[in-house]
This record gives sequence, structure tokens and C-alpha cells, in this order.
Amino acid sequence: MSEPTTSSEALQHHSRRAVIGAMAAAGLGYAVFGPRAAKESPGGRLVLDYWEKWSGHEALAMEKVVKAFNDSQDRIYVRFFTMTAIDQKAMITIAGGDPPDVIGLWSRSISPFAESGALVPLDDLASAAGVKQDHYAGPVWELMQFQGKTWGLPNTCSTIGFYWNRTIFKDAGLNPDVGPRTIEELDQVARKLTVTEPSGGMSRLGFVQTEPGWWPHIWGPTFGGNLYDAKMDRATPRDPRVVQAYDWVQSYPTAYGIDNLRRFGGGLGNYDSPTQPLLAGKVAMSVHGPFLVNVIQRYKPDFDYGAAPFPVPEDIYKENEPRGLLEADVMVIPKGCKSPEASMEFIAFTQRREWVEMMAKAHCKPSPLAESGKEFLASHPHRYIGEHEKIVRSPGAFATPKTRTWAEYDEEIRSAMNRIWDQGQPVETVMASIEQRINQRLDEARIRRERRSGGKAKA
Amino acid sequence: MKNREDIAGFAWISPWIVGFLAFLALPIGMSLYYSFTDYSLLEKPLWVGLENFKALVNDPVFWIVMKNTVIYAAISIPLGTALAIFIAVLLHQPVRGTSLFRAAIFVPTLVPMVASAMVWMWLLNGELGLINQTLRPVLGVVGLSPPNWLSEKLFAMPALIFMSLWSVGQSVMIYLAALKDVPPSLYEAADLDGVGPVGRFFTVTLPMISPVVLFNVIIATIGSWQVFAIPYVMTKGDPDRATLFYSMYLYDNAFVFGPKMGYASALAWVQFLIILALTGLTMLASRRLVYYRAN
Repeated sequence: MSEPTTSSEALQHHSRRAVIGAMAAAGLGYAVFGPRAAKESPGGRLVLDYWEKWSGHEALAMEKVVKAFNDSQDRIYVRFFTMTAIDQKAMITIAGGDPPDVIGLWSRSISPFAESGALVPLDDLASAAGVKQDHYAGPVWELMQFQGKTWGLPNTCSTIGFYWNRTIFKDAGLNPDVGPRTIEELDQVARKLTVTEPSGGMSRLGFVQTEPGWWPHIWGPTFGGNLYDAKMDRATPRDPRVVQAYDWVQSYPTAYGIDNLRRFGGGLGNYDSPTQPLLAGKVAMSVHGPFLVNVIQRYKPDFDYGAAPFPVPEDIYKENEPRGLLEADVMVIPKGCKSPEASMEFIAFTQRREWVEMMAKAHCKPSPLAESGKEFLASHPHRYIGEHEKIVRSPGAFATPKTRTWAEYDEEIRSAMNRIWDQGQPVETVMASIEQRINQRLDEARIRRERRSGGKAKA
Repeated sequence: MKNREDIAGFAWISPWIVGFLAFLALPIGMSLYYSFTDYSLLEKPLWVGLENFKALVNDPVFWIVMKNTVIYAAISIPLGTALAIFIAVLLHQPVRGTSLFRAAIFVPTLVPMVASAMVWMWLLNGELGLINQTLRPVLGVVGLSPPNWLSEKLFAMPALIFMSLWSVGQSVMIYLAALKDVPPSLYEAADLDGVGPVGRFFTVTLPMISPVVLFNVIIATIGSWQVFAIPYVMTKGDPDRATLFYSMYLYDNAFVFGPKMGYASALAWVQFLIILALTGLTMLASRRLVYYRAN
């Protein structure tokens, strides 16, 4: 930097300094006195932030509930935000001490969040807000529990069932009104509805466990097995029923040929598209959630489908106790929120029957409440929603294991599916390797808990 | 005056210094500390000494991701380097439409990674993909059928390596710039000595662009050890962890499994040390292999 030599240069030099100084001052002023995220607005209300994980029509439905809450009173104002990767972002904001006030998570998120002390237990708050256990279906209430406390309240819930193409059933001379009830019947019907080409490949499969392949962990519990012993805190993938289930899974590539199945799988369309395999007639039967009907309505409203609980082995079949995976969208209050009482007031509003049922219809899911009204069932866009409702209230409804290690366990099963399905490895061997790895993880988690609690923690 | 200049200099770069300290140096230091702790992000870190590093050695998935990443790097780096040099040499020839070819080679690097991944998922689709539609009649002649690239354990990794060549455009542009810098007098001398085109490449071109090759190899090594977005979108590590790479496993531990930020930090530091060692080894080897004109 050189010194100015003439008066003109000196003036230029000072002007430049003045401009830079003014800009710096303006920037500093903006940073210090500039706008802040509103804490109170409008009309002096307490502002709460709600993070929603869904986008699209599911988020629009929730936004309606938020608006109704904001219109219903003049003390609290809820701001609605949709968020991708919500569990990861929630963890980071909670760890950073600046969380939102209410978060919409999944029921499977409760155990890792609650065990880490990231959530506010809701028992007292819910009780004070008039929210009671008997408002909900028993299995749904059970999903909200972890280590004897309530950590969330359901936004919506969903069960996994069985869907079939009624037209294909009719064409094959089968009764389109009744799907297979047992695994044995399913296998027979699947064989009958599979169309093999002269080349050896298939143009249609009756059923295949890998379509859509989103829940590779459901087969064991569907067969009556347990993946996790909560009392002993042990993974139990070698439960004979679980092994039996994956033996059944393996019987499909054995029967149809793995190369044929791979080729067939490669040609299947995406879920949210007109080429969704069930809609496109590529598979005649499929394991799916009730939300499939949203796709049907969007791309092929005249598609003639049937739905029922997923078939189970003959020896455990009970007509009134259907089995199926139960999951829920849950609303939780993170530690560090502005006012747990205000957050609870908002959550309690969303738990009113009118909003719960509106959300269920918008998501095309069953109701999480203890009972569903006739009006709800009659006006639901899913013509067989009653089948999913049966699972919600059934003792056969099962959830993912409530352990912080579940994400790793799930990943192990996903990876194992390939070894069982593609490589034909013995199921017992694959399950033994999962058991060893996950139990090691559970042991590590137990040691962590003990270390944190000074050796007093139990499994 | 010198002091005033220093103060002014530091004042002007202070935003960068603050950013570097707050967003790079501090997190790096924190991650080193976390690698010696049990830290779940939601609970306070608890000092566990070398436990995370010991667990890492006994973790079979750690060795799987190490193997996958080594294979990916060991094949994709030489293959990508050879292809980029080959294309650069071709584009360096004085032929009509060179600009068009250069643009065509560079354009794929401008496509967002996720978009590229989606396109390649369709190209590699076992039943409907363009690659198999092309291969099917050819292989059919000898009674074979093309593989299901992304869902067969044997072919998923080769498919991703093949796909990595899609983005050699950036290296090609750097090689092209280096090729322009080779003095024509060296080629003329080689011509006078009767050296053919292949000989000219190995005795003139390659030594002259060797510093640029070194730079690209180091960048590619770092990139290969950090590969994440493409396999994360295309395969998520499937089938049976055949395409699970180091950074993907690190991410899973940091944000999905638990989370286990302490363990993930240990993984990150091992990754950093591996990249540092490989870069050091490459630099060491370059002493004998790289020619600097200034020398």
C-alpha cells in the first residue's frame, strides 16, 4: 500500500475509506440489530415451531390442522416447517440447544431419542391436557411407550397388509373377493398366477417378497417369530419361526430361478408411477401399506384391487387376530423447547377425533384411535380400510424392536436378504452371523448405559 | 508502515480466518477429541480412550468398506487417469470440431451428481437399461445374457467404477492445458531422431505433463476415498454391502446408527490418516517419476 501523493489522490483515498467504513458499519449494524426469528407474533402470541417430515399432500393435510389450531385460540401461534432427514436434523438442533417445539418423527425413532434424553416425557403433560390412553387403540398406545413412559402421541398410523389384482384373479378363475389366508395358499396362488415365457423368463409373477422390498424385517414376525427379546436385551434372529420365515423367502428364488427373478425385478417400475408393478399387472399380489391406494387413485383410479391382512402359516392363523407391522407418525416434544405445556396444548388439539380422522383419510391410512366412526369408514378413500383397521386393533399387530440398535439390526437384515435371496446361503448360517453382530452391538450399548449411569443401568 | 500494512492485510482476510477457525479448525479438533469418546450427539461425550479404534479393528463391516474402497480406488484411479490422458491427447490433435468434442467431454462434470446417478440407474437397469438392450443381442449370439448390473454382487462394483469414468472431463481439461504447454521444439527434436507417435508420447509428452498427472492422481485418490453421493443414491451399499464405501459407513454411524458420533469420528480420523499416507507415498514415488522443467 502506498501513501497518496496529491490532494486528488488523498481525497480519493479518504472517500474509499469512508465507503468501506460505511459498508462495514452497515454490515455490523445489520448483524447486531437486524431482524431476528420472531419469538412472539402475531398479537403477542407465543410462537412455536413444528417440524413435519412429510411433504406433498400429507404435509398439506397437517398444515390444515396447524391453521385450525392457530385460528382456534389467541395465545399460541404454530409455525409449520417441512423438513427432510428430520431425525438427523432434529438430533443436531436438540444437541445444539435450539430445537423446534414439536417434531413429527416415526414411532421407531422414539427409543433412540428417548434413551438419549432428547425428549420430554408426555405422561403428566398429556394427562393435564386431557389426553388419555383409552382414546387410542391398544397396540398404537404401546408404540408410544418406552421404558415405562409415554414419549409421543400419534399423528397417523399405518399397518402393512396384502394387496391383489382382482382382474387377474377373475381371469385365472379364482374368487377375487377372497385373497389367500395362509402362506400355503399364497404359494399355490402365486404359482398359478405366474406367467412364464417360452424363453424361460417371466412376464408376470404371482408374488415375490422383494416387491417393493421396503420391509425385509417383517417376515419373521409375520410367521409368529420374534426378532428381539426385550427382557434379556438380546437379538433373536435364530428364533425357529424367524428361520422358517426366511426359509420360505428363499424358496422363491429356488422355485423360480434367481436369474429369472433378477431379470424380472430389473424391469419393474417405480412405486409412485403408472408402472407401479401391481398396477401394471407385473405382479398379481403384493405386500403393501394402505397408502398404495393414493398411487392407485393418482394413476389408475379404475384399478380393481383387493386388500386383506398378509397371509400367515396355517398353524398360527386366527381370523380375528390378523398379523401385520404397525408403525405410526408421532409428535414429540424435544428437550429444550420453549414451553412443553404450550407444545402439549398444540399436540392435544391434533389428537381430536376430527383431525386424527382427517389426517388418516388424507394419508390414506387407518385411524390410530380406539374406535373408528361409521362416517370415517364410509368416507375413507381406501375401500378396504377396515382390513387395516383390524390389524391396528389386533393382538397380532407387531412393531419394530424398541432398541437403539434397531437401525443397525434393520441394516443387517437388509444385507442378509441378499445373501439369502441371491446367494442361496443357508438361512441358519446367515441368522447366526446377524445374531452375533447385533448382540455384540447390544452389549456395547449396555456397557455405554452402565458407564453413563455409574454402573447402575440395567438392560 | 509495515505494521499498518500487516494489520490491514489481516483485517481484510479476517472473515476467512474467522471462518477457517470456526468452521474448519475447531470441528477438526473437536472430531479428534470425539474419536476418543463415547458420543451420541444427544448426550455429553464420555472419554473412552482408544476404545473406538479398538472396536473399529474388530468390526467386520469396517474391513468390508476398507476392501471395497481400496478396490474402487485401485481400479478407478489408473483407469480414469489413462482414459483422461488418452482423451486429452486425442482432443489436442488439430482436427475440425475440437471445441465441440471438448464441450461434450466436459459437460457431464456439470451435471449434478444425483441427476447423473439417476440417469445411470436407468442406463444400468438389468431389463430395460440401454446398456443391456445393446449387449443382449450381442451376448445372445454366444448364448449369454447381460448381468443385472446394480443388483448382482459380482457386477455392482464394476458398474460403479465404469460410471466413475463419466466424469473424467475435468481431468481432461487440465491435461489439455498441460499438453499445450509442452514445447514444440521437443517434438521436432524427437521427429529428427526418428521417434514415432507412440515413442513421442512416452518420451516427450508423458514426462512433460507428469507434474499434472501427479496432481490429478492425488486429487483422484482423495476423491476415491471419499466417494459417497453416487453409490448412496444408486445402491445404498447393496447388494450385500458390495458397494458400501468408507464414507457411507462413516455417515451411517454418525447419523443413522444410534447415532455413534464418537465411533464415526474415529472412522474419519483413520480415513484422514490413510489419505495422508497415500498422498505422502505418491509424493515420494513422484520424486523418481515426475519431471519438473525447472530442474
